[in-house]
Amino acid sequence: MNSGGKRKSGSLNEGSHDIEEGPSLLTSHIATSDADSEASDESEIEGSESDESSSQDEENVESDSSDDSDSDDDSDNDAGYDSASVEKDKSAADADKAESSVNSKDEYEYDSSDEEDVRNTIGNIPVNWYDNYDHIGYDVEGNKLIKPKQGDALDEFLEKVDDPNYWRTVRNKLTGQKVVLSDEDLNQIQRIQSSTHPGGSDDLYAPWVDFFSNEVMEMPVTGRPPDKRSFIPSKWEKQRVGQMVHALKMGWMKPRGEIRKAKLSRDPNAPSLDLWKDDAEPEITKRYRMHIPAPKEPLPGHAESYNPPEEYLFDEEEEAKWDGQEPEERRMDFKPEKFSSYRAVPKYEKFINERFHRLLDLYMAARQRKMKMNVNPEDLIPKRPDKKDLQPYPTREGMIYKGHKDMVRTISPDPSGQWLASGSDDATVKVWEIATGRCMKTIPMASKVTCVAWNPNPSVNLLAATVDSDVVLINPQVGDKLVCSNTDSTLESYVESASSSEHKSPVSWSTVSDADHKKGVRLKIEHQQEITHFTWHAKGDYFATVQKGSKGQSVLIHQLSRRQTQAPFSKPKGLVQRVMFHPVHPYFFVATQQHIRIYNLVKQELHKKLQANCKYISSIDIHPGGDNIIIGSYDSRLCWFDLDLSTKPYQTLKYHKKALRQVAYHKHYPLFASASDDGSIIVSHGKVYTDQLLNPLIVTVKILRGHKTTNHLSVLDCKFHPTQPWIFSSGADSTIRLFV
Amino acid sequence: MASEASLGSISHVQAKFFTKQKEYSIPDVPYSLPITVSPKELNDIVHNVLYEGDNEKTAVFDFLINGELLRSTLEFYLEDKEISIESELEVEYIERQAAPRPEASLSHDDWISSVRGNNNLIICGCYDNTIKLWSRDGQCLTTIPGHSGPVKCLTWLKRAESSGEDEEYLFASGSHDQAAFVWRWKGSKKEIDCLYAFRGHSGSVDCIDANGDGERIITGSWDKTIKLWTADNTSTDQNERDDSENTHQPKKMKSGGHKMITRVPLLTLGGHKEAVSAVVWLDDTNVCSSSWDHTLRLWDMSRAEQTQILEGSKAFFQIAQSPLSNLIASASADRHVRLHDLRTKEMKGTYTSHAGWVSSVDWSKSDEHLFVSGSHDCLMKLWDTRSPKAPLYNLIGQEEKILAVDWSIPDLMLSGGADNQLKMFNYKKFLIMK
Repeated sequence: MNSGGKRKSGSLNEGSHDIEEGPSLLTSHIATSDADSEASDESEIEGSESDESSSQDEENVESDSSDDSDSDDDSDNDAGYDSASVEKDKSAADADKAESSVNSKDEYEYDSSDEEDVRNTIGNIPVNWYDNYDHIGYDVEGNKLIKPKQGDALDEFLEKVDDPNYWRTVRNKLTGQKVVLSDEDLNQIQRIQSSTHPGGSDDLYAPWVDFFSNEVMEMPVTGRPPDKRSFIPSKWEKQRVGQMVHALKMGWMKPRGEIRKAKLSRDPNAPSLDLWKDDAEPEITKRYRMHIPAPKEPLPGHAESYNPPEEYLFDEEEEAKWDGQEPEERRMDFKPEKFSSYRAVPKYEKFINERFHRLLDLYMAARQRKMKMNVNPEDLIPKRPDKKDLQPYPTREGMIYKGHKDMVRTISPDPSGQWLASGSDDATVKVWEIATGRCMKTIPMASKVTCVAWNPNPSVNLLAATVDSDVVLINPQVGDKLVCSNTDSTLESYVESASSSEHKSPVSWSTVSDADHKKGVRLKIEHQQEITHFTWHAKGDYFATVQKGSKGQSVLIHQLSRRQTQAPFSKPKGLVQRVMFHPVHPYFFVATQQHIRIYNLVKQELHKKLQANCKYISSIDIHPGGDNIIIGSYDSRLCWFDLDLSTKPYQTLKYHKKALRQVAYHKHYPLFASASDDGSIIVSHGKVYTDQLLNPLIVTVKILRGHKTTNHLSVLDCKFHPTQPWIFSSGADSTIRLFV
Repeated sequence: MASEASLGSISHVQAKFFTKQKEYSIPDVPYSLPITVSPKELNDIVHNVLYEGDNEKTAVFDFLINGELLRSTLEFYLEDKEISIESELEVEYIERQAAPRPEASLSHDDWISSVRGNNNLIICGCYDNTIKLWSRDGQCLTTIPGHSGPVKCLTWLKRAESSGEDEEYLFASGSHDQAAFVWRWKGSKKEIDCLYAFRGHSGSVDCIDANGDGERIITGSWDKTIKLWTADNTSTDQNERDDSENTHQPKKMKSGGHKMITRVPLLTLGGHKEAVSAVVWLDDTNVCSSSWDHTLRLWDMSRAEQTQILEGSKAFFQIAQSPLSNLIASASADRHVRLHDLRTKEMKGTYTSHAGWVSSVDWSKSDEHLFVSGSHDCLMKLWDTRSPKAPLYNLIGQEEKILAVDWSIPDLMLSGGADNQLKMFNYKKFLIMK
């Protein structure tokens, strides 16, 4: 026998027993497996045990010769095995016994509960209730559990004598069976009786075995082989290191020592040269911040369902409409369709197409970032004052002055506010009493009256009217008689001086015939061309006229007291529309078609040039304060200029539908108005603050209508009452209206 | 719901009727009235109680609730005033004002700017610079061509001076020619004399008023001043100038040899910032003036100073004081007639119905609740102060804008305007249904 082979087999099959000297490795294997499978057979095991002991003896004898120490060890081992196997066999036998006593059925076949013993289902009742029956209870199926046979006292005695396990046999009350307590049970009972730990571990304070210790063990705790990656250098680390090396090379990054050195060497008091360095944003973060996400596709709606609700399906009309439309104008680019089941949905034909377009969109579409502000749009609108707070302003028609037979081109209230002069195409000038609408005077003229203007000086009662190429100065003889007579006497007291006659005047001043004098006409200033505009200076001594055509002399300034005329501009810079004197300062406003030039009359130079953003200026008026002007234009705009602010309009109002004819400021109230060919007069609140920091407040307050439109002409002139918040308007319907 | 309401589930309100006129009083029993009841139906109810079917002579009543005339159905009234229908209403009934009857139309040559009545005489100021004197029955007594400008204002100096045969009337006129004249009309001789000429204004004289005894005259002018003059013939001659010195004397005087005295003002009161539109004597010392500068001012003439100022929102064209209630009614360009109480300085009410510029107002001299207003919308309206939303009657007749109204003669309302006609309306106090 090969001892080496035998030992090997022994080591491989630990806990098994070589029944016979194995002829080969294979047979011994089989034998051991057999022995394992039939371990429940007690007798056989016992038999093999005896065999084994004998064979061991033999072995020991055989091996003694070769190695003593070895054999000693082996025998110890074998003895250990023996005791262990005995124990095991016993417990197996116990189980066997219990099994055989209960109808040889698997106790867990029907019942999976964790309860200790459910074979008897009578519950927790005194068992002695069943003493008189031959059954002790019922099993889960309701069958009686028959009491096991109970021997009489003789049997008991015999058992006591015969059975060596009698002392450790107890009776299970529930089943009436006898149970032989195992050593372990006994051990446990003993421990409980001696008040020690029932679990059996005697040494509660056994030293702690630290498996995962810091000590390097010969064998690892887990048998898992190390990962491959632990043998390969990290790619990312390499990349990172590479970046750092590059940064070091380029000087972007510096070794710590150098940084410290640089810090130490830097003068702490030296000013930082780059003021904005903290504000500079690295490119990468900027890109992240400015990232614009792709636009989201809308989520599919009910119409896109394979089984949409009825209302989403097209009826015939809608379908025809859908078919008729160009793909671009369709509301949705598919027809809702209904399928009986999801399974029946065909392949989506336009899938590729749509994907392509989506990608194309994402790729091609220039997306721009919208700077969103969380501002309530209401807050951006400047606060409009309530109209009620802006009263008084004219609100309704108060009076109609009837009497002219043709369109009334021009009106002018007298400075006291009692009279109103009007000039009409029926070649008359009329003077009205404002309060009653009574026509007080009618002064016939030679031709159409284009312009009337009351002398602003209250101590002079003089009305100027322009008729064709003449300026006619009229004393209408209304109002204070003393003033009227003074006016006449000052006009008559003029003595022609020699110097003025020498000068070649562009116009001729002349007194009038007696017949005209009786009518009230006092002076006539004959121009060469038709006069288009007339204006008084605020003091009432100077006045300016604009005449048509004649190039160098289109603007003329006349002085009443000396009866002199001069042409201030040798060459006007365009077609002069209107001229005006500044109410306070020696400025002269000349409005050409698109510009307003302000000349300083004292210094004789151009003071300012205003850019009106309109094509054709029709009218101009200056705020009584003198720092703001409004202009109206034939392209239906009204521009408000703040002379302190800019040469561009402070505000442009385009509320009229047609050309503006006249604009006017009120002398006292913060009101201005514009009259337009669309038949309306729009009155606006225009408050100018004395505080230089506040811009004028402009609010449109009222649209006044009344004049009828004839020949595309409606309102021709509008003027405010000098003291009341009333406005006069004259129209092509030959009436003058007063709005109060 | 609607059918329910029509079937008679209309809410009812408890009401008691009472009156201050003893002859019409009815028992003080509360009645349950449907809220849809109108003044006419209320009238029928009162009639039934009062006359019990006797229809021979019945007065017509108007109904007042809380001092305001009921002009619509009760429902509207309660809604408007937010009165609960559970509260008991106290309904006062008064005899209804009779509708004024148009009486005569007196034709003039030009616009009438001013009209005043007194007893049985009417004076009219015209734009043709004349004053026409009419008798009560429409007879033109005389035409006075004194002024050189349109006559703007007139006033009687002694309102009812009748002394039998030798009746003598004084009146004053103001004009655009900046002068005011005092005239004397001798009824027996049919003679007109110009007693005084008041010169001194530098604007047209727009308003004039005389105090109770007719000796103090105030004028207001476009030159923003108020001047006080005397028409007292016993006053010293230091204020007087000889007529011949004056360059602006009236060209033709029909006075038979009587010498006209020109007087300068006793007092000039400045304070108004715009033209003075009306002046009224409140009593013997106090004057109220209105102006285009949106203010009413009170002046004490004995101390020659301004005592009070009332700010309005619109230019005043005319004011009138009620002799009974002492309220001031004002006419302005914005269609409203306003009532002011000078003692409390507050506005008592706004009467809006005119469609145009209100040019003139005048109070009834016999009834503290009634006044008339004339407007450029050609209508004269009779108002009750207790009915601010609608006038009692619209007096139609004028074809052009009305410039002047007058109710100095208690049973005669006068209006004159731009159609050259003086319209007279007869006014009887109460309406008696036949």
